[in-house]
Amino acid sequence: MTTYLVRRILYAVLTFLGITVATFALIHSVPGDPITFYLGRGMHSVPPEVLAAMRRELHLDEPLPQQYLRWLKGSVTFDFGRSTVDRRAVRDVVLEKLPNTFQLNLFAFLLAASLGVPIGLWSASRSGRLTERLSAVGFFLLYSLPSFWVALILIQLFSVRVDWLPLFGMNSDDYPSLGWGGQLVDRLKHMVLPVLTLTYAQLAIFARFSKSAVSEVIRQDYITAARAKGAGTAAVLWRHAFRNALLPLITLLGLVIPYLMSGSVIVEQIFQWDGVGLLYYNSILARDYPVVMALTVVTAVLTLIASLLADILYAFADPRVRLGEGTR
Amino acid sequence: MSRRSAALIALLLCFACLRDEQPAQQPSRTPKKPAAAADAGTPQEGGTLVRRIEADVVTLNPITSTSTYDRQVVDYLFTPMVYLDQDLEPIPGLADSWEILEGGRLYRFELNQKATFADGTPVKASDVVFTLKKIFDPTSEALQIIGAFEYLDLARTRAVDDDTVEIGFRQPLAAQLIRFHDVMVLPEHVYSKGKFREDFNSTAVGSGPYRLVKRDPGKEVIIERREDYWREKPPLKRVIFKVISDHATAWNALRRGDIDETRLSSDVWRREHQNPQYANSVDFRRFYTMSYNFIAWNLRTPRLADKRVRQALSMCIPTQSVINDLYYGTARAMSGPFTPDSFAYNPTVPVIRHDLTGAKRLLTNAGWMDSNGDGVVDSKGKPLKIELILMAGNATTLQFGQMLQGEMKKIGVQLELSVLDFSSAIQRIMNGNYEAAYFGYDLDNDPDPFNILHSSQVPPRGQNFAYYANPEIDRIIVQARSEMDRSKRKDLYWRLHEIVAADQPYTFTVQVSSKWGLHKRVRGAEVSGYGLYRWFPGPLGWWIPRDQRAHDRAGQ
Repeated sequence: MTTYLVRRILYAVLTFLGITVATFALIHSVPGDPITFYLGRGMHSVPPEVLAAMRRELHLDEPLPQQYLRWLKGSVTFDFGRSTVDRRAVRDVVLEKLPNTFQLNLFAFLLAASLGVPIGLWSASRSGRLTERLSAVGFFLLYSLPSFWVALILIQLFSVRVDWLPLFGMNSDDYPSLGWGGQLVDRLKHMVLPVLTLTYAQLAIFARFSKSAVSEVIRQDYITAARAKGAGTAAVLWRHAFRNALLPLITLLGLVIPYLMSGSVIVEQIFQWDGVGLLYYNSILARDYPVVMALTVVTAVLTLIASLLADILYAFADPRVRLGEGTR
Repeated sequence: MSRRSAALIALLLCFACLRDEQPAQQPSRTPKKPAAAADAGTPQEGGTLVRRIEADVVTLNPITSTSTYDRQVVDYLFTPMVYLDQDLEPIPGLADSWEILEGGRLYRFELNQKATFADGTPVKASDVVFTLKKIFDPTSEALQIIGAFEYLDLARTRAVDDDTVEIGFRQPLAAQLIRFHDVMVLPEHVYSKGKFREDFNSTAVGSGPYRLVKRDPGKEVIIERREDYWREKPPLKRVIFKVISDHATAWNALRRGDIDETRLSSDVWRREHQNPQYANSVDFRRFYTMSYNFIAWNLRTPRLADKRVRQALSMCIPTQSVINDLYYGTARAMSGPFTPDSFAYNPTVPVIRHDLTGAKRLLTNAGWMDSNGDGVVDSKGKPLKIELILMAGNATTLQFGQMLQGEMKKIGVQLELSVLDFSSAIQRIMNGNYEAAYFGYDLDNDPDPFNILHSSQVPPRGQNFAYYANPEIDRIIVQARSEMDRSKRKDLYWRLHEIVAADQPYTFTVQVSSKWGLHKRVRGAEVSGYGLYRWFPGPLGWWIPRDQRAHDRAGQ
């Protein structure tokens, strides 16, 4: 088990380095740089001396490998440099927006998982019947609905037609003067519409995924045996089928965790939720290299940790995964 | 559950169908009819205004700022050397009076003796000198304003006494005085400490009528009126700027009354501006400002070096359909580099007619014919193919490109559309690595076209993207920009307008009007050539009647 772990972690570190090099090369190969973003916009030209000073200040005059090493050296100590746009420390900017995105996505994830998995189980138990096929179509439709459209419909319904929920932002103007409980309620109210918008597609994924995982198991002989010995449908589903269908769900979990931190541009834009998605989008447009790098690193690290966790959970859940260790 | 989700979808679909059929339904927050008495022109003191900014403030340092949203906040916090009035003529700002000496090479300003910064210290001539030095210093990265002071002569710039400052220039420019409208004077004792580019993005100490209360990045900026302001105080006590990047959300926020003003997209404007539902809540405005759209032709491309080809391509633009179908009649045709409201605009220069037969004839004269019958005209074995760069993020721009593509196809010109994000597009344009590009441009209120037409201003030095070089145009531009007599300048620009229209280094297409929605409770909002903002009093003259102050009720 230990060598298995060490090997996994080593792979993760190498993958991480690969991702940073690739991202660095990629964003620098896109036409334009943090300076071109400011050109061609107004009546007056920018004198070359100013552009040169700016290049020096942002270290854009150094060769690329040197820039990368500078970045790597800083990022080891969690110093991701300064944004090329507003010159704030990238760490501060990211730490400011990450919790916002996390809040939103965590709620959406919990809601989607807690509804989606039982729905999937239920529809697996209806295998072959009309309700199962209809639900499959339903999931597909749900998954296909564009979120900007759903968001606008929700706004029309709940913010414009009836004034039940706030239209945009993360809290009301009087937020600072509210008590602890009041602040919580205020924040939750602001979260309802964006969370709903984020949830429905995820819910469909969870439902479909758990349904197909369970359907696989349900065809196995031991399920037939369990049925034969007289266990009820619910008991068969939960105690026998679901446990064995956990493995693919762990995989899904590994895929979903990084998503919790990687906000949605569309949802954040429509609801003016000050999160990572919008930051990512704007930073790419402005060629704000340090911010793009930092956000990529955060997502990459999370993905690696999640897949590492998934690997470890696999090893615990399924002895066959550990087998490689025994044969060496 | 499948039934339930299907039902939900069906419900949503139904709702979407109904939406347009029932426009008369009242939004829940429409205020009651405004009191008629409040319409009387006397501003009522106090109240909170909530404005929308489309992107977060990048910096509140007026010298390093490049974004229009920064500028909207900064205009409340700082005072420029001169203000521009509604006709965009210079009037006293921080300076009470001025003299232009040595034929435009020396400016002497007398500062208002009562002027103070928000920290209570008096504004001194040395602060003006400090600010100009900061603008001129390349490490300040004063990207937007340094170009306006390219001829500044710091050696002849000095504080004569506490209230008098002399500013020297190496060359006279007719536009120089109004460029002082962008010089927001900084207090030296605050801005000389720390890192200029990093430390003053979320703080501000200026001499304007408002002081910064709070900047919450990504969300809002709150400012409050200075009770010790040294000029006549503006009516509003407090202004909140809310960051709302989405147009649809902003429109919803306006009709709910969450915000008091927003720019509107052409679509929303067309759909809603006559909707009786908003007769009592939204004041729709439409006006022309100093911006226009144009196609730049890269004259270094051999195919485009021939003026007959450029003229022929320009004649393919279905200007009237663009105006009617893409902008719903809220745009007007351009004939040259000046907007129709400018003194430099020559009304005798015609707008290029949409004329495919004429265009075809011009191409034939220039030697472009379809010799191999493939539907594309060619010359010396090469087909007439042109790549047009379009800026991403604007549906109308793409529609324009597609319309043009269709028209050009009819006369055998193959137009390829490349949609690029701004940085990619500018990179290619600045490198001269393009054939044609369609974009928009914001002008200053001085019409000097030096930057886009003078042969010395080709990239990377300037923005003569067309690589246009015409000695007569160069001569006219140089003469006109230092000519202090406006009627003589006018004659020069009228001539320039004619020549440029004939040469077509750029095809100036349309000027699209700005559309705004203001909440009806906002009074005193007037428009200048810059639109609602960037002139005096502009938004400093806005007020809200006492009985309609919706933003002052909850916890403010």
